[in-house]
Amino acid sequence: MTGHSLLGAALPMVAAINWHSLFFLLFASLACGFALAVVFTTNVVRMALHLVLSLAATAGLFFLANAEFIGAMQLMIYVGGTLVLLVFGVMLTAQQPFVSIRTSARDQVLAGVAGAATLAVLLVAVLSVGRWGLPASGEVDAPTATPLGMALLGVRVDAAGGGHSGFLLPFEIVSVHLLVVLVGAAYLARAKRRRTPRPVDVLASADPPLAPRPAVAVPGGVTRGASRSALVGSGDAAGGGA
Amino acid sequence: MDAAATLPLLLGLAWLAPLVSFVAILFYGPRMGPHGRNAATVATAAIVTSLVLSLLAAGVWLGNHPVTAAVAHGGGDHGATGIPGADSPGGQGPGHGGEGHAVGEHASGGHGAPVPPSYSGDWYTLYEAGGLTLSIGWWIDALTVMMFVVVTLIATCIHVYASGYMHDELHDVTDHEVHLADGSHLHRPGRFPRFFQALSLFCFSMLGIVIAGNLAMVFIFWELVGICSWFLIGFYYERQSASNAANKAFIVNRVGDFGMLIGLMALWGALGTLHFGDRTVVDASGAPVARPGLFSLVRPASTGHALEVPAGMVEFAAADEVAAVVRTTAAQGGGADPGAVAATVASRVDDWRARGLGRWLLFIAGVGIFCGCVGKSAQFPLFVWLPDAMEGPTPVSALVHSATMVAAGVYLVGRFYPVLTPDVLYVIAWIGAITLFIAATIALVANDIKRVLAYSTVSQLGYMMLALGVGGWAAGLFHLVTHAFFKSLLFLCSGSVIHACHTNDMRKMGGLAKVMPWTAGTMLVGCLAIIGAGIPFVIGTSGYYSKDAILAQALAFANANPGRGWLFGAVAGGAFLTAFYMFRLWFMTFAGEPRDHHIAEHAHESPPVMVRPLVVLAVLAVVAGWTLPGGFGLANLIEQARPAGTGGMEQGGFLFSGLVVPPEHESHEGAVHVTATLTAFATAAAGVLLAAVMYLWGWVSPHVVAGALRPAYEFLAHRWYFDELYHAIFVAPVLAVSALVSGADRGIIDRIIDGLAWSARCLAGFDAWIDKWVVDGLVNATADVTWNAGLELKKFQTGRLRQYVTFIALGTVALFVLLSFLYRSTFAG
Amino acid sequence: MSGGSWGAGGVAALIAFGPFSEPVTVSHYMVVGAVMFVAGIVCMAVKRNALGVLMGIELVLNGANVNFVALSSPYLQANGPGLGLDGQAMALFVILLAAAEAAVALAITLNFYNNHATVDVDRAEDLKG
Repeated sequence: MTGHSLLGAALPMVAAINWHSLFFLLFASLACGFALAVVFTTNVVRMALHLVLSLAATAGLFFLANAEFIGAMQLMIYVGGTLVLLVFGVMLTAQQPFVSIRTSARDQVLAGVAGAATLAVLLVAVLSVGRWGLPASGEVDAPTATPLGMALLGVRVDAAGGGHSGFLLPFEIVSVHLLVVLVGAAYLARAKRRRTPRPVDVLASADPPLAPRPAVAVPGGVTRGASRSALVGSGDAAGGGA
Repeated sequence: MDAAATLPLLLGLAWLAPLVSFVAILFYGPRMGPHGRNAATVATAAIVTSLVLSLLAAGVWLGNHPVTAAVAHGGGDHGATGIPGADSPGGQGPGHGGEGHAVGEHASGGHGAPVPPSYSGDWYTLYEAGGLTLSIGWWIDALTVMMFVVVTLIATCIHVYASGYMHDELHDVTDHEVHLADGSHLHRPGRFPRFFQALSLFCFSMLGIVIAGNLAMVFIFWELVGICSWFLIGFYYERQSASNAANKAFIVNRVGDFGMLIGLMALWGALGTLHFGDRTVVDASGAPVARPGLFSLVRPASTGHALEVPAGMVEFAAADEVAAVVRTTAAQGGGADPGAVAATVASRVDDWRARGLGRWLLFIAGVGIFCGCVGKSAQFPLFVWLPDAMEGPTPVSALVHSATMVAAGVYLVGRFYPVLTPDVLYVIAWIGAITLFIAATIALVANDIKRVLAYSTVSQLGYMMLALGVGGWAAGLFHLVTHAFFKSLLFLCSGSVIHACHTNDMRKMGGLAKVMPWTAGTMLVGCLAIIGAGIPFVIGTSGYYSKDAILAQALAFANANPGRGWLFGAVAGGAFLTAFYMFRLWFMTFAGEPRDHHIAEHAHESPPVMVRPLVVLAVLAVVAGWTLPGGFGLANLIEQARPAGTGGMEQGGFLFSGLVVPPEHESHEGAVHVTATLTAFATAAAGVLLAAVMYLWGWVSPHVVAGALRPAYEFLAHRWYFDELYHAIFVAPVLAVSALVSGADRGIIDRIIDGLAWSARCLAGFDAWIDKWVVDGLVNATADVTWNAGLELKKFQTGRLRQYVTFIALGTVALFVLLSFLYRSTFAG
Repeated sequence: MSGGSWGAGGVAALIAFGPFSEPVTVSHYMVVGAVMFVAGIVCMAVKRNALGVLMGIELVLNGANVNFVALSSPYLQANGPGLGLDGQAMALFVILLAAAEAAVALAITLNFYNNHATVDVDRAEDLKG
């Protein structure tokens, strides 16, 4: 009886639930919570994990906002790509001293004050625009993947963008930009060798000559490395004779 | 041989040879052998070349114009016996492009004055404007040729002598007469090449005067001779006395040259030419135009070469009358026709000349030129430089200050003789007489051997001037030549003595004849020559002939001008004094016992290179005056060059009334000649005798005489107080005025300048203060502000990433807050 | 059992009469974006690990992205879709740029690690004035 009554009382309440709002609250709290967790966690590995979760929850928010393509991209690129990259970085540098670096209390307080001030300004600004607080009047079901894809190729098919040109030029620019970034990142992150051996090194490593580095770079680098080692070797031979 | 073409070539080359030597030594002297030893060879070779060329020229001359006895007594009575055809009017010069002009002696036939043979022309024209021409040219007659031979001959002897005398200069020299501040003596490198360099330049300049064809050229080389003299007197320029003497000679000569410039201006302005000889020039239309020279203008052929005031000077002096003519012609309507004016003026020149117009101009021209000669030939009152000039080396004294340079003045008077009026001649005679007397008296008491000779030179130059002044043209120039020989001989002998004794003071000499026989002998010959010793009417030294001629002419003048006979007295008295002081010199130097044994023991005969020129000159001093059978001799050679119209009697002077200049040939006539010769012999003998009494035999002590005549002795010993007088009336006032001006400069002008400078400095200080504290302050303040701001801002660039992020956040917030306050109305409204 | 029922009921009531019945608006999304943005800022400001800073950047970008998406959504606004498709395109570009930026930043970080043997950004002060 009591269970029935309870259930009876609960059912209309459940029916009254706005599921859109419910899931929004769910994803919003997840996103915000894990974002704050990123801030407050000191272990860099956990920070990465929390960031993944926060970004994934944000993707959910995107789905709720009728931006299924963006949400998908968020999951694929951000969560699947960028953050994997980030985790690689964490793992490459995650030596014990660097896993968690303490920050001074003064800096934390200062950052907190700055963050709070910024948040206050932002919230005031957000809530001061009355139009943004009004809900939509009716249901609209308009898939956006197709119009977005067409727009990226220069054709606008959505009503709002009628008459405007598409995003073909930014699209191409971004594609070239990504290529440049990849090349640049590969160049920056490659294993470098020093141009000339420092005198200290040569003296210090007089007996066992510097081993030639593996020839992974351009052929010119290989020949340079080989000739350098040959020079060092001849110098060592003289030194060894003495 | 064509004399008109050959003579300028030979003499021109003889003239230029020393210039080549000068240039060569100037540039390469120090490199000519060790210490420039070969400079002497170069200079001597050059002057020997000149001598040879001069002798060749003399040969050419004598070949064309033989000297005969007939010429000697030429004058108006005998006519001329010249050689027709010797002249080639307008003939081309010897390859130098100038036109030559020759004048024969046949021009005026058997009566009137003969025209001496002469050649003139221009090598090079420096400047030509209208009728005025400045050029380098020649005037060659017998006098020129003779002077060339004499100058180059003496110069050759002296070059040879000097190459021995100056050997000290081949090494470093310690000059014992220069005391440095630290008490030591000056030690300097030798200047052997420099000496011969100056000597060569001097020879070039002297020959330039002799050959000059116009007065402008004479003036140029006149000044060159002056500067050479300055170089040579000041050869030991470290000695204060030598430096002073050089400056004194130069400045005193400038005084005379100032007068000469006035004379030149008078001639140039009034006559428009300075050429001696006639020229033929080509005018604008191509037609040849005859331009008479100075001689033809003053003594035109139209008057039988009698002196007349040239038309140019008459017109110049008659400027008012000419202006009246111009006005009259203009009033008659002919003002536009210069020809008419010229014709009228020309027609009236004779009237104006008769009124005496222009004669003052001619007088000034003559006296002006003579002023230059007074300076150069050391005549009263400008003779003071010559004794001081003995500071130079002795060969210089011999060449420059006895034989040649001082002769230049006499030579110029002789050359210019046709232009000189009787009045000018009388002035010259006066000056000559005064000079000869003053100089002779000073020489009586001088103790420096070279100074005695220097005053003797002045005195003999006075003789020459007096001879020229009383109409003895040939006598004066004859004495010039003979004096050149025996005076250079005497100087070289004195140089030899000084070389041996290392002192100039005769009081320390004596008895040197034993150790220096050659020097003593040649000097005795020189002394005999200068006093005119000889056997009367038979034979004698060169001075015998020339001095007799002067005495005879003076006596003739005295006869012709009864009121002016004292000139003869001066000449005769001068002869006596000359004999006395010359033998005083010889006796004190060579005779008796040595006064200073130290000097006598160290004395020695000079080396052959010095003795040989002495012998040559001694021979010349004896024979130069001889006339060979047939009439060949110096006297006749000079007579051959006698300017046209000067052989006759000149009468009248507008300043000195009743003045008569007797013709020179009258003095050769029996009564006058015998009287003169006997007078000369008697005075000379008396002088020698008195000298022997006082200085050889010692019968009368010179000291006693000097004590008895103390005031006169002092007067003479102080050289008539001329130096003191000039110092008082010229030097002292100049110094006083200089001091005054200098004081004014220092006290007033410098004060004003200093005041200006001080005020400028104050202003500048104020400016500097403003610059430092205001301008710089502003700039520095800006810089400081920027610097400090940078320093402050630097603190914000911490390089800390997290801090930047915080700043960005806070900055954004602050910006928003600010904007919301500022633009509340805009946004919210 | 009964306690659990009450608990469930309480929760249900809370949900029904709390914010769950309220429709979601742009402002809600904006608040979420603001929180993520500020979290990113604070993350950048306090993390000394370079990777932490990088994560802060990702958060900031993501917060901005949320705003773009919200303003382009037709569900959230009364007056039509706002930015419409432009907002979504912009969000897409931001994602791409964030990826590029992450790649470059990671390369820089590794370089820094190679050169200084640390990832502490406080040690990276070579450009200090």
